[in-house]
Amino acid sequence: MTTADRPPRRLSPLTPLVRGFIVPVAVLFSTWDDLLRGDVGPVALVLLGLLLAGAVYGTASWLRTSYWIEADELRVDTGVVSRQSRRIRVDRIQGVDVSQPFMARMFGLAELKLDVAGGGAEGSLAYLTLADAEELRETLLRRRDVARKDEAGEAGEGGGPDAPPPAPEREELLARLDPRTLVLSLVLAPDTVVFLLVAVAVGTTVALMGSVGGMATVVPIVIGWALTQSRRLSAFHRFTVTALPGRLHVRRGLFTLDSATITLARVQGVAVSEPLLWRPFGWARLDVSLAGDSGSHDDDRPASTTVLPVGPRPLVLALARRLLVEAGSPDPDAVVLRPVPARARWVAPVRHRFLAAGADEHLVVARDGWTTRRTQAVPHARVQSLRLHQGPWQRRLGLADVHVDSPPGPVHVVARHRDAAEARRLLDAETVAARTARVAQA
Amino acid sequence: MDDLFAPPGTVWQPVSPALPRLRRLLLLLVVAALLVVLLVLTLLLELPVGLWLPLALVLLAVAVAGWVVVGRNARWWGYAEREEDLYVRHGALYRRLVVVPYGRMQYVDVEAGPLEQLFRVASVHLHTASPGTSARIPGLPAEEAARLRDRLTTLGTAQAAGL
Repeated sequence: MTTADRPPRRLSPLTPLVRGFIVPVAVLFSTWDDLLRGDVGPVALVLLGLLLAGAVYGTASWLRTSYWIEADELRVDTGVVSRQSRRIRVDRIQGVDVSQPFMARMFGLAELKLDVAGGGAEGSLAYLTLADAEELRETLLRRRDVARKDEAGEAGEGGGPDAPPPAPEREELLARLDPRTLVLSLVLAPDTVVFLLVAVAVGTTVALMGSVGGMATVVPIVIGWALTQSRRLSAFHRFTVTALPGRLHVRRGLFTLDSATITLARVQGVAVSEPLLWRPFGWARLDVSLAGDSGSHDDDRPASTTVLPVGPRPLVLALARRLLVEAGSPDPDAVVLRPVPARARWVAPVRHRFLAAGADEHLVVARDGWTTRRTQAVPHARVQSLRLHQGPWQRRLGLADVHVDSPPGPVHVVARHRDAAEARRLLDAETVAARTARVAQA
Repeated sequence: MDDLFAPPGTVWQPVSPALPRLRRLLLLLVVAALLVVLLVLTLLLELPVGLWLPLALVLLAVAVAGWVVVGRNARWWGYAEREEDLYVRHGALYRRLVVVPYGRMQYVDVEAGPLEQLFRVASVHLHTASPGTSARIPGLPAEEAARLRDRLTTLGTAQAAGL
């Protein structure tokens, strides 16, 4: 179907201003005194020239950029001198994120980021007004669903892309993170344990050597830790999870606002983490693996795969069940996990106490970790491949590992150091369960 | 061999006997090259017997040990084509068994380096959406590799399941 149902549009006219905001500020800042005296020196002239050139280029770039939807494609034309035209097929869109970096937010603008199947070719539109960005996201997601239904040969209940948009569904609030919990959870984060240990070690060494000045070595450690935690604080501030049919929305941020969509059909598995110091409060964290996730998140920023950075365990599990709705909303906690044989202590002296794994009719689950207990669950229908591993020591002890392979992401279920015969049974049973679930879904 | 890595109701298809031959040739070439280097160094620098003899013996020991390990490993390579999945087993010391459902395969690679072409063998590499899937079968006879690839892609398309 070829319908140029959306005429080409431009980005927000404020785009050049937001993109180059730092330049006028720098110019003003560096030449303020000169300007006040009415005395425009050579430096100021050069800077003003650059500013002018930047403004011209920015405006030209804005004039030459347009986007529209045609023939089930989002088309974006860009380029002042050499023109580029990017076409993104609507049915290949995996997720649409709306992000508001601090400067853009000041002007009520937002960036639209497209996650496209096949990886690599990511699309981005910066900047639109927030309302436009949200409206475009809804349009793209709706059209994607229609396009996929058409492809599957089903009659979409929407009646095709020309049908009027259905009335917007009400978003259901699932979780909202309060700042006190967030701050406390960051103070009690696993890094804190490491940080404390390092600080104590350094402090003790310094004290033993009897030099007070050496205490200064602790300062960089403290600063590094504080920076990491404040970055998380600003990213996870006002973390909100809401539900719409078929997807969840995650909104977060103090300065930069991020809004990500989790399409439930893309969920590959969930991971519940419980750091040692959170357990007295009954808190846990929830991460999700999604299909088509490029996995190339920069390390500096908290991953967008986090569905809830901290929350009461029952809430985290309720969200996990929400995410696993395609698999029948099973409860990862309801799966009976069995410990490893006592002889596993010869290969994992401490860890063997915390290892457990099990499967039920919906999920295969493994648990691991002492300082941070991680419970990871993958629905049978999402298992990619299965592996059985046995090293020489494990062979002597009659143990083996079972790996459940998932697409790149935080979830990787590994049942370590199982009794060898049980491991093979688990592998064979999981092979059958995965096949059955796959066929049932197809 | 033990039950843990027993084939799933069939027998393991072995890889080509050319695989250990190829790997042993490679091993001998490397060891021979190192021996030549050692010889040249000994002659040029007039190294004492106490230095070059132990080194030469170590190289020979490596060659012998490698010879045995290559043979053992080659015996442990095996694959079994079933109706809906492929089993691959390998590793004598660190044993591995991989189960890849055809419906999960994204693509299949057939690779053959210069030495492999000389021995008329090729490797078949299966990829799924998970980078963890390490399903690679080396040292298949070239025509068997082509047959396996075609069969796998056919079955993969027929049973394809989305993510």
